[in-house]
Amino acid sequence: MAQDKKEKRTGIFICHCGKNIAGGVDIKVLLESSRKFEGVAFVTDNKFSCSEEGQIAIQDAIKDNGLNRIIVVACDPSLHLLTFQHCGKKLGIDPAFVDLIDIRKWTMFGSPNKVDEKQALVNSQRLIEQAAKRMRLKRIIPKVTVEVNPSVLVIGAGVAGLEASLDLADKGYKVHLVERLPTIGGKMALLYKVFPTNDCAPCILAPKTAYANIHPNINLLTNSEVTTVEGHIGNFSVVVNQKPRYVDDKKCTGCGLCVEKCPIKVVDNEYSRGIGERKAIYIPYDQAIPRKAVIDAQNCLYFQKGACRLCEKVCPAQAIDFKQEPKAIELKAGAIIAATGFDEYNPARKVEYGYKRYGNVITQFQLARLLDIDGPTKGRLLRPTDEREPYSIAMIQCVGSRDENANGYCSTVCCMYALKHAQIIKEMVLPDTQVYICYIDMRTTGKGFEEYYKRTRDIGVNFIHGRPAEVIENPKTKNLILKVEDSDIGEFFRLEADLVVLSCTTVPSKGTKQLAGLLGVNLDKNGFFKEVHPKLRPVETNVRGVYICGSAQGPKDIPDSIVQAKAAASCADSELRKGKIELPELVVKLSRSN
Amino acid sequence: MAEVYVEEFMSPGCVGCPQVKEMLKILSEELSGEITVEEVDITIDTTRASQYGIMSVPALAINGELKFMGVPKKEELKKALQEELNKDE
Repeated sequence: MAQDKKEKRTGIFICHCGKNIAGGVDIKVLLESSRKFEGVAFVTDNKFSCSEEGQIAIQDAIKDNGLNRIIVVACDPSLHLLTFQHCGKKLGIDPAFVDLIDIRKWTMFGSPNKVDEKQALVNSQRLIEQAAKRMRLKRIIPKVTVEVNPSVLVIGAGVAGLEASLDLADKGYKVHLVERLPTIGGKMALLYKVFPTNDCAPCILAPKTAYANIHPNINLLTNSEVTTVEGHIGNFSVVVNQKPRYVDDKKCTGCGLCVEKCPIKVVDNEYSRGIGERKAIYIPYDQAIPRKAVIDAQNCLYFQKGACRLCEKVCPAQAIDFKQEPKAIELKAGAIIAATGFDEYNPARKVEYGYKRYGNVITQFQLARLLDIDGPTKGRLLRPTDEREPYSIAMIQCVGSRDENANGYCSTVCCMYALKHAQIIKEMVLPDTQVYICYIDMRTTGKGFEEYYKRTRDIGVNFIHGRPAEVIENPKTKNLILKVEDSDIGEFFRLEADLVVLSCTTVPSKGTKQLAGLLGVNLDKNGFFKEVHPKLRPVETNVRGVYICGSAQGPKDIPDSIVQAKAAASCADSELRKGKIELPELVVKLSRSN
Repeated sequence: MAEVYVEEFMSPGCVGCPQVKEMLKILSEELSGEITVEEVDITIDTTRASQYGIMSVPALAINGELKFMGVPKKEELKKALQEELNKDE
């Protein structure tokens, strides 16, 4: 507190940032006006304040003018505040007395907040005045140091969540892995094969799911949802609501006898994407982990009508427990990783393509389930209306993406999974079937992807450079007619196909918005979790201690999800391994009214 | 003279903000000492609001420290301002 007694001498350093700031505001006027504020002892400008030279200039000014408070007028504090705090710290200035204020957002060409030079000057002057006043009156706020709980909550057990969990669990942290569905593995487990290697997706995923299931440091909570999050980095208090399975998972052996005997069949929207059926008591799929049965109370005869209980009678392990109640589980976590993944865009919104209106229009995800040899049709590709093999299949790319009326972004994966399915059909399932891919652009930018695209062309898949305007059904044959222009040859034509497959974009999974509310994390304009900086801090969020990875952050493929998961795990590790954390000085005491 | 600097975070459509503004006006007349209120429009100065971790308006930071979120009770606000004024002497 010694500095409080001394005279308060503020130095203001206005950064040109090359031409980024100097090009959008009159620095000379800004310098003059800044001198007038009370407590300001020194004002200067630098070409690049963040450069080594710029920092030395700041330090020299501190020494020469006896400054004890500094304000750098430059860019966003999330980028460089630490730089200048370190710079001041070397000369004994408390980080609380170093401020970085952002005027570049108003002056830089290409910035979304760019204003004209006059307005930028007014805005900047106001901001500098506020900062000068704040600096003059501000006191050092006592630092709060908190002990860190060496555990992490991972929300979502898809491939990203699993990877982050395993990384952290191997490092020795306790990981609470929460999954909304009764089984882990997420969407990847349902993809059948993955590009560009055409590996079997469940086979390469299984080592991760199996290891997560038995890892001593992982507390796996399936069928569960996070309902409350409180606290801060190092000490989050979380409540997880575990929905009842109505099957004792300690007793259930996963033999499947109950599933066999259950009389109720319902459409499986979750694991077969509406293509196949499942029973009211079910094991999601063969390689499901944990392989335990679960009762769907909405459709179970006992829960709806009070009769049946066949599963209870046949279960050799007496695992059925109709009395199970939802459980509220309280957890402590030092950090949180949100990996809640994606959902497929609902193409029924694009009425011109006839999804849900015409029986033979399906999505790529449904096609993946149809092609899966362990899927609902055991790998037989039959079109839904008459269960015969299609002679021609047309795929429509960019459904719900790169579209002003739906989502502006590119799904990044729909080119590749269309190519993958085309290859599987031509090489493994129906070699004589004609496959057409109607595309706007083929975006195959990953490692080995362009070769994959070339191979798909070589095996005789037809590519049409144009997005179909409309799909019409022939009511007699149930065949589909696509009106499309091939812009390469400049001709309109009608293409008749037995089956139309829509390559839909990915959208944030259901509940992302709600979870963002619980965590206090911002969403971007498309509803994905928003990172602090899209290039430099892609897995951190506005809430310290909450990290994001996988498709919940934006559309991406599996390798990118893995990379991000590892990055998020590493970020959590670097905070937690300190053992103690200093909370930011800006927010210390909060009185809440109302 | 004792001084307090209050940043009032507000937005154009905010319902509670005028109430807080009025409260601050009355208090700055009641209390002895210089109380400066700066209105920070969060739709313009987004950076400042996010630095404080402000999720809703109105919010009040006193001498660079976030103290209130939502409309504070008048006595609580008076107490907080008085505390700061006392510290300064």
